[in-house]
Amino acid sequence: MVALGELGMEEWTQKLAKCPREDYMGRSFAVLFTGARRYANSLLLTSAFFAVSASLSNSAAAETMNWRQFEGTSITWAYDIHPYADALAAQLPEFEKLTGIKVTPELYPDDSYWSKMTIQLTTKSPAWDVFGTGIQPAWDLAPSGALEPLDKYLGDPKLTDAGYDFNDFFPSLRSALTWKLEDGQVATGDGGQIWAIPHAFENIQLFYRKDILDKYNIAVPTTPPEMANACEELKAADPSITPLGVRGVRFWSSIHTAAVSIARSYGVHDFVVKDGKLDTGLDSPESIAFHKDYVDMIKKCAAPSFANDNWYQVVDGISSGRTAMAIDSNMFGFWNDVAGKPASGKIAFAPPLRAPNATSFDSNIWIWALAMNAASEKKGAAWLFMQWATSKQVALKGAVAGQLVNPPRTSTWQDETWTKYASQPEFNNFVDSFKKTQDHAALAFTPRVGFGEAMNAWAVAMQKMVNGDDVETTLRALAEEIRAGL
Amino acid sequence: MSSQALKPIVPVAAEGPGACASSGSDSLEGRSIDWFSLAIILPAVLILFGFLLLFFYGVYQSLTDLRLGRPIAKFVGFANFIALGRTADFWNSVRVTVTYALSSVVMEALLGLAVAKLFASGVFMARALRPVILLPLVLPPMSVALMWTTMMNPQSGIMNYLLSLIGLAPFAWISDTRTALLSVIMIDVWTYTPFFALIIFAGLQGITDDIREAARINGGKAWATFVNIELPLVAPHILIAAIFRLIESLNQFDIIFGTTQGGPGNSTSALSVQAYITAFQNLTFGRGAALMVVNWLIVLIGAFFTVKLWRAVRRRVQ
Repeated sequence: MVALGELGMEEWTQKLAKCPREDYMGRSFAVLFTGARRYANSLLLTSAFFAVSASLSNSAAAETMNWRQFEGTSITWAYDIHPYADALAAQLPEFEKLTGIKVTPELYPDDSYWSKMTIQLTTKSPAWDVFGTGIQPAWDLAPSGALEPLDKYLGDPKLTDAGYDFNDFFPSLRSALTWKLEDGQVATGDGGQIWAIPHAFENIQLFYRKDILDKYNIAVPTTPPEMANACEELKAADPSITPLGVRGVRFWSSIHTAAVSIARSYGVHDFVVKDGKLDTGLDSPESIAFHKDYVDMIKKCAAPSFANDNWYQVVDGISSGRTAMAIDSNMFGFWNDVAGKPASGKIAFAPPLRAPNATSFDSNIWIWALAMNAASEKKGAAWLFMQWATSKQVALKGAVAGQLVNPPRTSTWQDETWTKYASQPEFNNFVDSFKKTQDHAALAFTPRVGFGEAMNAWAVAMQKMVNGDDVETTLRALAEEIRAGL
Repeated sequence: MSSQALKPIVPVAAEGPGACASSGSDSLEGRSIDWFSLAIILPAVLILFGFLLLFFYGVYQSLTDLRLGRPIAKFVGFANFIALGRTADFWNSVRVTVTYALSSVVMEALLGLAVAKLFASGVFMARALRPVILLPLVLPPMSVALMWTTMMNPQSGIMNYLLSLIGLAPFAWISDTRTALLSVIMIDVWTYTPFFALIIFAGLQGITDDIREAARINGGKAWATFVNIELPLVAPHILIAAIFRLIESLNQFDIIFGTTQGGPGNSTSALSVQAYITAFQNLTFGRGAALMVVNWLIVLIGAFFTVKLWRAVRRRVQ
């Protein structure tokens, strides 16, 4: 394992090794054809001087960041049982060798992890030093001081490697994890603090079984009405196939994938400011139009078990071929395209659906990020772990292992190792679709404390509408419920 | 151990007031402080006190605007209860809780009685099936919920497959607002009917054969003997089982949350489930605690009347 600081030096060493070879050719050319050998030598010496100087200065910078400064410390890292956790866990021995810090992973099933995290952090327990979170749970936890702001660590050259490059993360991810607290409420804009570091993320896309759509000659839909028509064609062709897999559980996670991504293209906003006062936009004419189309689409397309379907069912459907299409986090399609999987090569990608009159689509994002417990008694060691886990090297290695997908760093997407791997035939148009979608991908929810309560109510209302309740009446009741909590 | 502990007290009581007067210090020691006995019961008292303290702390939280993630909680009196009372969802949760508990307990009692009677008949198959029928009781309720969620899947579940074998159309089970509550009640009945069967069977075993013989000699038919002799005698057992099950059903969480999470819509949103969602998903802990207190009150009222009924029936039987 090579230290991150040393890696900079290694790069320079490689440059040095490369320079004489290139200059050797230039020098020979000069000797043979111009006789300017002296000039060539001086050029060689000059370039070598600059290279060594740069190497030394880089080495000096690396010395200010000592990876073994917390040697002997033990920290606990808590996370959901997830391929992202597996990717980090697989590389942990390297971190421990690099730093001398012992990391104990505490991994919990998804259903219990979030409750456990809430209890651990709100009770100020120091048991966890680093934990995985999404942005939305962090909004509700930040006002109590449960999260440690990370700016001071990022800005400290003794704690952060010169090559870390925080600005390498996609701008939409950085901005989503940066906010300030004003009167106990989350506020965006200038002066925000960084609360967590992304180490992988999901954008919402439509992914589909190429084999099924090709077999029945069905074009990839782009709007909810088109999708409803395609579903009816599919059902007529093969009644055993569920045309569309979508989450429908009674929790905001079912809103954050298909519903909110499509809703944004209809002009729906969860929260708006009306006459200087915060209000909800869920009973707006745009929202009514969206819900009418969406509910109609779900009735025609989704499985009868929609209300009980979470991501497990969506992924199971698409991987087994019982479902023809799905609107969910794109990496679920990627993971099932990996060579050796039953659905390998059969899942292709497209942007999420958009409103029929919209010129473009929108895609929500979910960021798996690492945050630091403010009650941790080993913050220095915790930061070194977070820094290592979100570094360029770990991101690239995890991505190429097919696990840390989507990689959150732009440098990974420019790296040939990754793009070559992700462009293999079994992944179909994954890379192209990612690039197309990422330009329109951003956090679709309004950052605020109390987000969960309002959005859970939206999920319940969605179930009611899909089960036959009147759309307008249900949305009015939902909006009143949300207003009562503002 | 207990007889040793009582030793200092018993002689004082036996010797009477005169003896107390003649040896005042002894009597004071014997009556007021028996350290050994106190030490023995102290852990029980502490545990009880701990439980009560936690309970009253929960009640106190229901009177605050405590929100997980917010550092300060204000005392708001009954504001949480008043706010809950104004929402239709709260009254829906009360309705779901009571319907779920009463329906489950009544169905389990009837089915449990039938199964117990079958066990008591001594038929070979009934004897052989006796240990098997207890299996649902030993399964963790969350596993039961997940198992039934799979079985009740309208597309791929075995339940609809079984219905199709007898020519019935697919049923939506837990996926439709109209059928979800019935479905979760069915799961509860499947899980806990053996509990009733076990208790009632024990009651039936306690009825001596001479009573049945007397009824038979007096010309009582089997049904009449069952209705007029066995059922009244076994009624206290049924009610004891009903008390336990009513308390559990009114608090039922695992089966409902594991299958529907309270949905679709609010169709199975019992108070315990809604309290959990309110406290731990919406993070409005004060409001969630208020829901738990309401749930506790309903359990208390339900248990109070069932115990009263049990006492009345027991007196009548005796």
